[in-house]
Formats: sequence, C-alpha cells, structure tokens
Amino acid sequence: MRQFKRVAAAALFGSLGVAMAGLPAIVPAARAQAPAPAASGLLAQGEYVARASDCVACHTAPGGTPFAGGLPFALPMGTIYAPNITPDAQTGIGKYTEAEFARAVREGVRRDGASLYPAMPFPSYARMTDADIHALYVYFMQGVKPVANTVKASTIPWPLSMRWPLIGWRMMFAPSVKDAQAKSARSFADPVLARGAYLVEGPGHCGACHSPRAITMQEVALTSADGTRFLAGGGSVDGWIPTSLRGENRTGLGRWSEDDIVEFLKAGRIRRGSAFGGMSDAVGHGTQHLTDEDLHAIARYLKALPPDDTTQTPWTYDATLATALHAGDVSARGARTYVDSCAACHRTDGQGYPTVFPPLGGNPVVMDKTPDSLIHIVLTGDILRATHDAPSAFVMPGFAGRLSDEKVADVVSFIRKAWGNNAAPVTAQDVARVRKSLPKEEGEAPLPLN
Amino acid sequence: MQGLAGAAALTSTTLPVHAARSAGESAYSPTFFTPAEWAFLHAACDRLIPQDAVGPGAIALGVPEFIDRQMATPYAFGKLWYMQAPFVQGPANLGYQLPYAPRDIYRKGIAGAATFVQAKYGKAFGDLDAATRDEILSGFEKGDTLFGDLPAKIFFAQLLGNTMEGAFSDPSHGGNKGLGGWTTIGFPGARADFMDWVDQYGKQYPLGTVAISGETA
Amino acid sequence: MASIKMKSVDAVVIGGGWAGSILAKELTEAGQSVVMLERGPDRSTASEGAYPGSIDELEGNFRHKIFQNLSKTSVTIRNTPDQTALPYRQMAAFLPGEGVGGAGLHWSGVHFRMPPDDLIMRTKVKEKYGEKFIPEGMNLQDYGVTYDDLEPFFDKAEKVFGTSGEAYTVNGQVVGKGNFFAPSRSDNFPLPALKDVYGANMFRKAAEEVGFHPYAMPAANASAQYTNPYGVQMGPCNFCGYCSGYACYMYSKASPNVNILPALRNDPKFELRAEAHVLRVELDSTKTKATGVTYLDRKGNEVFQPADLVIVSAFQFHNVHLMLLSGIGKPYDPVANEGVVGRNFVYQNVTTTTAWFDKSVYTNQFIGTGGGGVAFDDFNSENFDHGPLGFIGGSPVWVNQAGIKGIAAAKIGGPPGTPHWGSAWKKAMVDTYQHSVRMDAHGTNMAYRDVYLDLDPTWKDAYGMPMLRMTFDWKDNDIRMNRYVVSQIAKVTKAMGARDVHLGQRQPGEHFDTRFYQTTHLAGGAVMGDDPKTSALNRYLQSWDVSNVFVIGANAFPQGTGYNPTGMVAALAYWSAHHIRTTYLKNPGPLVQL
Repeated sequence: MRQFKRVAAAALFGSLGVAMAGLPAIVPAARAQAPAPAASGLLAQGEYVARASDCVACHTAPGGTPFAGGLPFALPMGTIYAPNITPDAQTGIGKYTEAEFARAVREGVRRDGASLYPAMPFPSYARMTDADIHALYVYFMQGVKPVANTVKASTIPWPLSMRWPLIGWRMMFAPSVKDAQAKSARSFADPVLARGAYLVEGPGHCGACHSPRAITMQEVALTSADGTRFLAGGGSVDGWIPTSLRGENRTGLGRWSEDDIVEFLKAGRIRRGSAFGGMSDAVGHGTQHLTDEDLHAIARYLKALPPDDTTQTPWTYDATLATALHAGDVSARGARTYVDSCAACHRTDGQGYPTVFPPLGGNPVVMDKTPDSLIHIVLTGDILRATHDAPSAFVMPGFAGRLSDEKVADVVSFIRKAWGNNAAPVTAQDVARVRKSLPKEEGEAPLPLN
Repeated sequence: MQGLAGAAALTSTTLPVHAARSAGESAYSPTFFTPAEWAFLHAACDRLIPQDAVGPGAIALGVPEFIDRQMATPYAFGKLWYMQAPFVQGPANLGYQLPYAPRDIYRKGIAGAATFVQAKYGKAFGDLDAATRDEILSGFEKGDTLFGDLPAKIFFAQLLGNTMEGAFSDPSHGGNKGLGGWTTIGFPGARADFMDWVDQYGKQYPLGTVAISGETA
Repeated sequence: MASIKMKSVDAVVIGGGWAGSILAKELTEAGQSVVMLERGPDRSTASEGAYPGSIDELEGNFRHKIFQNLSKTSVTIRNTPDQTALPYRQMAAFLPGEGVGGAGLHWSGVHFRMPPDDLIMRTKVKEKYGEKFIPEGMNLQDYGVTYDDLEPFFDKAEKVFGTSGEAYTVNGQVVGKGNFFAPSRSDNFPLPALKDVYGANMFRKAAEEVGFHPYAMPAANASAQYTNPYGVQMGPCNFCGYCSGYACYMYSKASPNVNILPALRNDPKFELRAEAHVLRVELDSTKTKATGVTYLDRKGNEVFQPADLVIVSAFQFHNVHLMLLSGIGKPYDPVANEGVVGRNFVYQNVTTTTAWFDKSVYTNQFIGTGGGGVAFDDFNSENFDHGPLGFIGGSPVWVNQAGIKGIAAAKIGGPPGTPHWGSAWKKAMVDTYQHSVRMDAHGTNMAYRDVYLDLDPTWKDAYGMPMLRMTFDWKDNDIRMNRYVVSQIAKVTKAMGARDVHLGQRQPGEHFDTRFYQTTHLAGGAVMGDDPKTSALNRYLQSWDVSNVFVIGANAFPQGTGYNPTGMVAALAYWSAHHIRTTYLKNPGPLVQL
C-alpha cells in the first residue's frame, strides 16, 4: 500500500469519462539532437530541479529503477501506470527534443500530441523557468541512464480510455506557460518570498496534494494570489488527508516557526510532528535534498499565507486527561485503549517523544476536520523514513488487528479531544469506511533496517 | 503404547474440568496428543496448577491446549537444541543428554507414567484422587523412577516447564485464557509502558492486563 | 555446492554485533572497502521488535527467538580435564546471540567502564599483597592497556550508545553523586541517569545508611530521546522490561542495529552479507598472513572472500573457535601451561539475593530496565583491602530490576523451600511477586591453568567442524570472594526492612552447572597483553602471529570482570580501530615489535 499511489479524487476521472493512458511515446518523429555533453554544473542543477519537482515519486515503480516508470495508479475504472522517463529511445523519453520535453512538462502534451493526465502536475510546472527546464532536460538526457522498461498498458477499457476530453480540461484549467510565468513574476515583499512562491507553486507542486480540488479535478487555486483556498488542505491521497499549509492555528502551520518548517522538510521530524504517509516520501525523495536557502524561502512563503479558516481559537495545552491517566484513571471513553496501545510511544501526556515519536496534543493532523489520516495511521501504521540528516527510520505498527472499529473510534475521538485538542469525535462507521477504503497491500513493504 | 488403554477412562474425571471452562468456548481438539495422552495431560496439569481460591487452574487457563499447540512448533521437534550424536550420559550438571525432543519426551513420558501408575495403583492416573496424584507427581519430580531410558524427572520437568509457560504466556499461544494467569499475579501483560509508574513508589499498579491481541482483563 | 571466489576487499569483518559494527564503521570512515559477514539473519527493530507483537515472553526469553540456534553449532562443556565434555544441547547457562546486531540486539544495556586497577590486576596485586598472594594455578595477568589509554574510547562508546548515568568526577572535579570509586572522566555521560525503580531506590537509601556508596548504574538504555554522533536517534526507555532477550521496540536500548548500522548500511564502501557462516580465516603458506576468509553462503556455496585485513569480531568463544580452526596462534596446552589460544578462559561469578517485603509494599517487579538500577562498588576491584580476606577479585552489588514477567515469576515461585507447583506454590508466588526485591553480586572470575578452551575430539557442528570444548569450574578463590561480598548484602537488606531474605551464595566445592542461567558474560580465551607467551593478542588486539588479523571481543579479557563486558568490548573496539586507522593502514605489519 505504501508503495502504491492513487490519484486524489479519482472519481473525477469517471465524471470526465476518461482515464489516463499509459503514455509511452508511440509516434516516431525527428530524432532529438544529441546534445553536447553538459557541464557538470548544469547536470547538478538539473538533478536539483528534478529533486525539487519530485519526479522520482511518481515515475518509479516500487523497488524499481528510478524514473523507469511503472508505478500503478488505481482508478475506479482500471489501473494506469506512470511512464518511463529515462532517456531510453524506445520505451522512455530518449526521442524527446527539449521543446517537446518542455511542452510535456509544462503543458501536459505528449510528444505525439496526446494529452497527459492531470496527475502530472503540469498546471504547476507551467511556471517553471526556461533555465530550469533546460537543466532538467539535460539531466534527464545525460545524467539519467536509459532503462529499457515498457510499462504495463492501462487496464482501462474503451471508451473510457479515450484521451480527447483531456484537451478540453487543459484548455479550461491549465494555465499557459506565459500566464503562469507572468503570475510568478508578481511582486513580493522580498526576493526570498518570491523564490519561495516559485518553488511551492512551481516545481514543488505542493498544491497538487495540499490544495482542494473542484469536482472537475482542477486545484481551486494555483497560487497564493488566487485566494485563501490555495494550500488550505487537500483531498485524500492514498487514504491520507494532506493538511493545510496555511496559518490556521490548530490545523495549519500557525504555530510552526520558519525554522520548524525548514527542519521538517529536511529531516521529516520536528518537535511538533513527524512526516508520514505521502509526506514521508516527499521529504525522502525531494525536500531533504534542497538547500537551506530554498527551504527557508519555502518556509517563509508558507508562513506568509493567512489562514483560510479564520474561526480557530489558539491551541493551548490542557492537562486534565493527562493528569487522570497518570493517576491510573482510565474512565474516559477511549482512555483505556489509548493507555494499552498508544501511550507507550505518544505518552499519557500526549506530548510523545518528539523527533522520535511525535506529539499528538496540538498536532495539526490530529485536529484536521477530516479524521481519515488519524484513523488510517492507527489502522495501518506507517514508516517515518530515514533521511540524510536523520538516518534513523521509525516504524509505527498498525493496530487493525488489535482494535475493533469501535475501539479505534473511541481512541481516535479521545486523541482528538485530549490535551487541548478540540476536534469532533469519530464514529465506528467512520472507521469502517476508512478501513474499507484502504488500498490493498501489494506485498509487504520492505521494513527499514534499524 | 501399551498401558495407555486404561488411561482412556480418564475422560470421566476430566469432564467436570472441561465443564468448568467458560460457557460458549469451543472445546479444543488436540492434534498431537492421543485421547488417552490428552486425558493424562489434563489430570496432571490440573494438579500442577490447581483451581483454587487464589485463582484459576491450568485447565481453565487452557494449558493442555497450549502444550498441544507447542507440539507443532520447531521447539517440540528439537530444532532449537543441539541434537547431534553421540548421546553420552554424564553428571546432571552438564545438562540434558538424551536424544529426545519434547514430542518424544511427552510420548514416552506419558506412556511410562501410565504404565507406572497402572502397575502401582491398578488404576489410571486420572481415576486417582488429587492427593494420590500429587504424591505420584512428587515422586516423578524428586525420585529416580525411569520410564525405559527416560528419567521421570526429565519428563516431569518438561511438563512443569510447559505448564508454567502455558499459564503465564500471551494468550495468543493458546493458554492464559481470559488472561487469568496474569490477573492472578497482577502482571499487566503486553502494555509494556511504565513511564508514569516507575517513580510512583510503593503504589499498587492500578491498570488491568492486556494481551497482544488487545484482549483486556 | 559451488566454490566461489569474490572480488578482494580492503577488510572483511566477521560478525555483525557491536565489535564488528564498530570496526566496520571506523574502517569505512577511513576509506576502506568493508564486507561484513554475519552468520545469522538480518535483523532490525522493525522486524524483531514491532509493538505489541514482540512483547512476548515465551518467544523472547523461552524460545530464544533472536539468540543463537544451537541446532547448528554449540559447544561441549566439562568441569575438569579428566571428564568427558558433553554438548551444551539446550540454551540455559549462557545465551549467545546470532544475526545482525548479535548479542548486542538482545542484551540488557548495562554499560560500564573498566575499573583502572582491573586492567593492571597482576601488577596491583603484587604491589599491594605480594606475589605469593596469587594462588597456585591462577593465571593472573594485566591487559597491557591502562584506563588512561582507553578513556577517550570509553567516552566515544558512551556517546555512540547514548549512555545514561551520573558521573562522580569529570576532569578531576566532583560533579555529581555517581560512583565514588569510578575513575575520573573526560566528559559527563551523554544522558542523565535513568530513574530508580522503587526496589532500587530502597536499596540506594539502605546502602547509604549502612555506609556504602550507592550510585546509578550506567545504562545504554536512553533516559531521554537522543541523537548520537552518527546522527542516528534513540527513543527514551519507558521501563517496559523487555530488554534482555528482545529487540527494544522503543529504540531506546542501544544496539548495533539502532546506533551504528543506519549510518553504515547506505555507505557504498560497506556491504553486509547475512547468513554467511565463516568456516575459517585463510592463511598464506608462511602462516603469518591472512589472505581472506572462507564462508558458506545461505545456499551452501563455499565462498572465498579475499581481503587485506581480517577482523574477527564474533562472540567471545566463536572468536577463539575460529582462531583454533584457522591455525592462528598456538593452541593452549594446560599441562605444559604453554600456548595462548584457549588460555585464560573465564566467566563471571553471579549470584542473586532476594528480599521479601510486607504485602502492603508494592515493588512492582514487572517495571524495569535492562541496564538501569542502583549499585555499590565498595567490594569491587581494589576498592577494599583483600589482605585479611585472602582472595583476589570482587563484586559490584546491585538492584538491576530488568522486568520480571509472568513465566519467569511462575518459575521463580516463592522463597526457597516452597514447592514448585500446586496450591502452596501458587499462593507463595502471588504473595511475593509484587513484593520482592532481587539483587545481584556480580563478581569477578579469575583465570586458572586448568580452565580453558580447545577443540572437542568427538562432537562436530552442522558444518562438519569440531566444536569448541569448554573446561570450566568454580574455584575456591572465587567462591570465597562471592560468599564474603554476599554476606555484606545482609546489612543492606536489614536496613531495607525486608520481612525475609535469602542470601544467594555459592557453596564451597560447588560445580559449574550448565542447566541454569548464570550470565552470558563469557570472556578470555584469546587474551590481550604485552607478552606473546601469555597472550594471543598484543595491546591493540592484533594477533601476535598473523599481523593482518585483529580479534575484537571479550575474548581479550585476561580475567572475568565484575562489570558487564560490553562497555569494555566497545572501548577496545574503538581503541583497536583507532590504531588500525592511525598506524596500521599506513604501514601494515605488527603494531608491537618485540
């Protein structure tokens, strides 16, 4: 499951009556000019842009060669597979010219003219600079080894497999490169904020997960200039709910400092919480490799986003339940389950052992309006993966076998109201729904070795 | 296997013990032990950990089921022991030197015990009263009785060790039913977190016990 | 079975426990390509220590899930040279590890520095009591290194392990209420001491009251979250009691798996091969240089791994076994008292005393931590006058409540004299389980001429190799030492207000009994020293005979220490690695010229 991505709001594809095609280039055309060997600086720059854009996340199969494609995307009408973007001429993008490459990345148009699915975040990539695109192209052509890997064909049957409705989608919802770049050139209080905006709204494509999407699947806002719905929290990805990256006190980054955000993106673990679900991958593949300058730019930019939900009272720690648990009083609903299954790592005071086992009191994920992430992680557990700066991986075990829906509901409700948290309780039906919707395990994910 | 025929009659004495188990619990069918062995096992475990005012006994705790399930594990086949020949007997303090894995020890031990009891008392072990059964088990524990080349002591130690394991291990292994072994002694089980209690000196630990499965008591 | 020859590497490390992991880390840091061969499976906290499934006493302490599987290889044991040694068929007296992490995955966490006088024991005893004080047949020796030599490496190991403790002196200044007898340190412990459990706290107060010097035991069980110099993290110990026999699900007990390997596994210069059983170190025709090692891979292929440097860093007796099988160093002959491999095989002299309290006093013995507790050293090392007592050695005494779980409680039962089963047993167990405090005299064991290791003439392991034979028994000096120190515990239990006490003392003439757990702290057999006639290794743990072989482990201890050995093993590993890095690699050859 953890190796297994699903496109947010997959049902939308159904409503469009189409599905993403497998995408291997099929129309041979003029062979791309073999470029002159690039300076190592340019290659490094391209690799950096690839990291910032997290290309590897979607274009690598579980356990497969990076960029060789094959990652399945399960949709209601069938499964599609991310394409091979290594420079292999037959099965990859070896025949792409730089212009064709740029058009695919920024406009969502394949070399053969067919439209890419918006799982490819070209509405965000549209604002990438020509220089970054050039470096990225050089990196993929010269810095990545060609791998002959024909990814599986889509299992979506005709007529749902037709791609033409995507043209309309692109016309309606994807900005032109010119418009996107113009928006990136809007005025900012300082150049650091401008750089942050570029990284977040452009290559970083944070909104792909963290912004809400309309029924027609487009992100409702693509930049901070498009209103406060931008990065206000997204729909389910692999059963995880991306939180708001805006200034909400309880459910956003309101109480996180710029340094907190930088450290989180580097190590995946800070005093306020640890990365899990898709964010663990995003940190692992992408953000941990960014420079401190860029991370500060991202953090400063995010800290400048005012809350979308302006109704939240500030979170303050409330010791009432912690005091009861410490005295052995487990009479509160869900408290006994918390003490039996959770407190060993997250403590009866809900403060965890930060950077190793995250706090639950005041944790934005815990108080999210949608409780799915919390229910999901209680059921399946997850891995905080190792990063370069923090080589230890930590595993939370899953409790699906130990706890009934009722017990999960009780303990999740307990966690959502203890220690100053104030989120609504959840029901056994909520848990049953999440349990049922969890992607099926495709074999055991390899466990980290520490 | 002669001598076990008589032991089949044990069923009558073990039935009440079965009946004592909580209603609605399905009776366990052994896969290793024969009916006669199974009856002996019940009659012996019942004395090693008797049901009394202090707490549940081995039968209520499912100890025979635990032992039978253990017989299917590598341990019972001797796969955790060094079992290369030659098998030379020596002083007791140099340790176990027989070629028998736990499965063999049970098979030979129960047969030997049944023969011994039948010869001495003219009855099957389970048909004897509790005091006589205790006397016989004490004899096995401390005496020099031999069941062929298997000392009764070795058989007894195997049985006692597994009985204790069954009564006080996690219920996932088949014993410690209803967490009765752990609640008897006040062991909290698989919570495994005493951060709040390490420095609450002298206080009785108030939280109930929990199994790996999440079962609580 | 195929025969495979691998590409040569700079160094091959035998064994994936503490010693091997430390050497592999140090050597890769020095730019060396390193292959680590571990005969057991790859292991991790995630695979072996996942909560709550790992909280299983039957699997951990009784089926020995992460210990050595004796069905493949064991040892034979006898008490005296005139006996026939018999195989150690069931895990009991000692419990060696197997698999990545080695015994370092299942250990408790007690993490000591060696007392300075213990490193120069022969010199010290001669100086204080005269040479005649040493009994006939006792091979009393110095290590060839001093505390000052090792101090930086004790310090480094503590920082890597995230050791919790309280110092007494740092750079000569009294800084806290740590061990009054401990030598000065260059730095404090990286983490503060763990909290005392109740029984340990009662013991602390009572020991103080009777004039002893109690201190918090140094423990590689983290008292708080910790990030070590390699950047790897530990969680804090929550006193769950699942240390010894388990992979710590809290990541709070130091292990090679948690504290070193995360920083090593991704290093392209490092390769770990699990399920690789080393058969022997190969020597060239001169028998003075190793060419690599031969092992069986998981498919049973015989593989030769050439290497310039061979680090033998398996468990103590496996190291000695490999040296004997490979012909490294002269095997020990007890009759002539000549030869060095197998000489000075030692153990540790541990007995347990129990105090029972009124039923209103809850000691909650299930609460515990493997390395923590309270000790006093008033009768350890040269902290007391042995002259009038007439024995050599000593014991720290401690309450090291590591968490007594259900099955162990049942097997302990009630006080001596109560039955082991039936209603009387049950009542005695219930009356005492939550109201007892257990304390250990954790003593030294001296080396003797007729206590040694060699190859067994009869029994073979699953690979057709002769098994190692242990000849071991308790000796009068050590029994008298134990009885004296344990008699001193009575003062403490009296001050604790115990209702009843059983003093665990060795009996005169008592023989070593393989059937009951004593300790896994086996040592010696290939010891370090300054004289190649009495040591197999020089002071850098380099073989005197084969200079590109270093043998790292408790095998290097000439005497059995009163402390747990891991802290010393880790310090020796860093000490040896330091000299390999700074001297040997620049000019391979003997580091000590005679």
